[in-house]
Amino acid sequence: MLDTEKQQALVKVLKEKINKQLLYYLDVCARCAICRDACHQYKATGDIKYIPAYRAELIRRLYKKYFSVIGRIIPKLYEGRKIDDDVLLDELYQVTYACTGCRRCMYYCPFSIDTSHILSAAKSLLIAAGKGNQILKELADAAIMKGENIDMFKDVFVSILKESEPELRKKTKDRKAVIPVDKKDADVLYVALSGIHSILPAAVIFNKAGINWTLSMFEASNYGYFLGDSAKAKQIADRIVEEAKRLKVKEVIITECGHAYRVMNFFYEAWAKEKLPFKITALVEAIYKFVKEGKIKLKEKVVKEIVTYHDPCQVGRNGGFFEEPRYVVSQIAENFRDLNPNRTKAWCCGGGGGVVAIPELEEFRLKTGEIKANQVKETGAKIIVSPCENCRLQLDSLNTKYELGLQIKSLMEFTADNLIV
Amino acid sequence: MNMDPFSLIVALLVYVAVMVFFAGMIYKIIIWVKTPKLQVHLGMFPKPRNGFVRFFKLLKDSFIFPQTIEVDRWMWVFAVLFHLSLLVVLIGHFRLVREFTFVSDVIGQEKLNLLGAVGGGTMGIILIIALIYYLFRRFASPYKDISVPEDFILLFLLAAIIGLGDHMRFLGDIHTEEFRAYFLNILHFKPAFPETLAASQERWVLSWHVLSVDLFVIYFPFSKLVHVIGTFIANLVRSE
Repeated sequence: MLDTEKQQALVKVLKEKINKQLLYYLDVCARCAICRDACHQYKATGDIKYIPAYRAELIRRLYKKYFSVIGRIIPKLYEGRKIDDDVLLDELYQVTYACTGCRRCMYYCPFSIDTSHILSAAKSLLIAAGKGNQILKELADAAIMKGENIDMFKDVFVSILKESEPELRKKTKDRKAVIPVDKKDADVLYVALSGIHSILPAAVIFNKAGINWTLSMFEASNYGYFLGDSAKAKQIADRIVEEAKRLKVKEVIITECGHAYRVMNFFYEAWAKEKLPFKITALVEAIYKFVKEGKIKLKEKVVKEIVTYHDPCQVGRNGGFFEEPRYVVSQIAENFRDLNPNRTKAWCCGGGGGVVAIPELEEFRLKTGEIKANQVKETGAKIIVSPCENCRLQLDSLNTKYELGLQIKSLMEFTADNLIV
Repeated sequence: MNMDPFSLIVALLVYVAVMVFFAGMIYKIIIWVKTPKLQVHLGMFPKPRNGFVRFFKLLKDSFIFPQTIEVDRWMWVFAVLFHLSLLVVLIGHFRLVREFTFVSDVIGQEKLNLLGAVGGGTMGIILIIALIYYLFRRFASPYKDISVPEDFILLFLLAAIIGLGDHMRFLGDIHTEEFRAYFLNILHFKPAFPETLAASQERWVLSWHVLSVDLFVIYFPFSKLVHVIGTFIANLVRSE
């Protein structure tokens, strides 16, 4: 049981989360549950708590109880209820942090209800109740800490990069190739992930494209966003924005990381209430442009095996890049085969929204990833390209579990491996 | 005054229902308008190229919602049938305010009555079939598990409205003119039955029909039925 004071505090949090869009979603849902089979998690488990309409219903019941005219008098009508016990919060926790935010349910909903947006209110409640996901919180705090103490990290970071430069020189056949950090007159700030796998291939591409770039000291991924804490999410994004402002770059290229691009391009300006003085580009978009403009040359049709492409939800449906990565992949691959369904209708891999980082959900994500695994099997592909770190980690797990015999590649890696240098 | 107390209360409740409906809907819209908007665009890709395309996409998403066919074909079929018939029936009810002379002038009164009987009858049958589908679906798992009392209440009210309406259409001995007289009496704030209706047992069916409508209309602004407007604004967010 939660005491009255705590309950009131939580009601206040919910009230602050209510905006126009959320109200529409809470008011119009007819519980037709057309969304049921749109969700890979319900489809794979058959557990009703994963039906998008049910997840949203948990928040709707609170909304009806506290904020609707009739619901305050006759809550029973809507099964309206108080936030008065841990059972509710625990159920909310399960359905909320399991959601990958792929928004496939929104695509199929006749009212276009964005369940993941409703669940962002749930995350705020859980955080206020001290029940936010612990792992995601620790990762978010670590990222913020790094932002505050960047001088501590810088030297180690630069020395790791120096170790990789010989390989860069070999791959680019450019004896002067470097991975610049903190470069003042750069045009482009590239924001990678922690791990050289997201830096080296991009460095090869940028070097060949001949752009004046510098590498960000921060990683693009935003655990504050996964956690559902917009204050933390903004703080994490701030690090990059401040760096870009300090270096006076014209453009920030976000690596192949679904949510990171979405946070920077769609969320940040709304959070910060300011217009960013530089352009945000996704790396997939940048690679596509380099190819189209002839800045980099690909070895055409050099890969003979069947290659497929997985649309990361945050890059495709929620980010807007469907054709750009496909164009690049099909230039290199002789046999490109799409998954079915794809693009806007693409199934989530099962690992998004931070799910891949939550150990307690490992078994669950492997099970719910079966749909994706079967899709890949159907194509007979030996290589799968996907421009999202979460997706690739999940695909890697699925590869082992369902014995897919796949090579999993990022678009930058696939491109860098098949460049004419 | 030839109305029994029950029928009179039902008729008087019409005024309450109309007031609650409009007050409730206006209240709802005011709340929607006044609540601050989330500045983040929640739309999904691919987004329409311009306002014109966006407008047509909105109409398509709201009236046809084609993507639903792929995941739940029967629900789509019945939802479309149900809403369309409801619209036709609603339009048909305007005959109770004024005869459709623009139609009867062309095809004659008898043909209009026949059209009303066949058209209205067909819609009445479609509605009841769609409603039975809705009900069965609502009671089946997993839909039952995510339903709340309002879902059932609305379906039962609709069942009463449509069932009694069909009774008047197919079984009763009362025709449009008498119903129009009854309805006009209410509109003129002098609720009373015309004589033929007062003499018929069908008046009970009529009063129960109107009572169900009263309750339905009163509850309307506080229910999920606000999707009648909400559909458009929520679908607009889809392409934002």
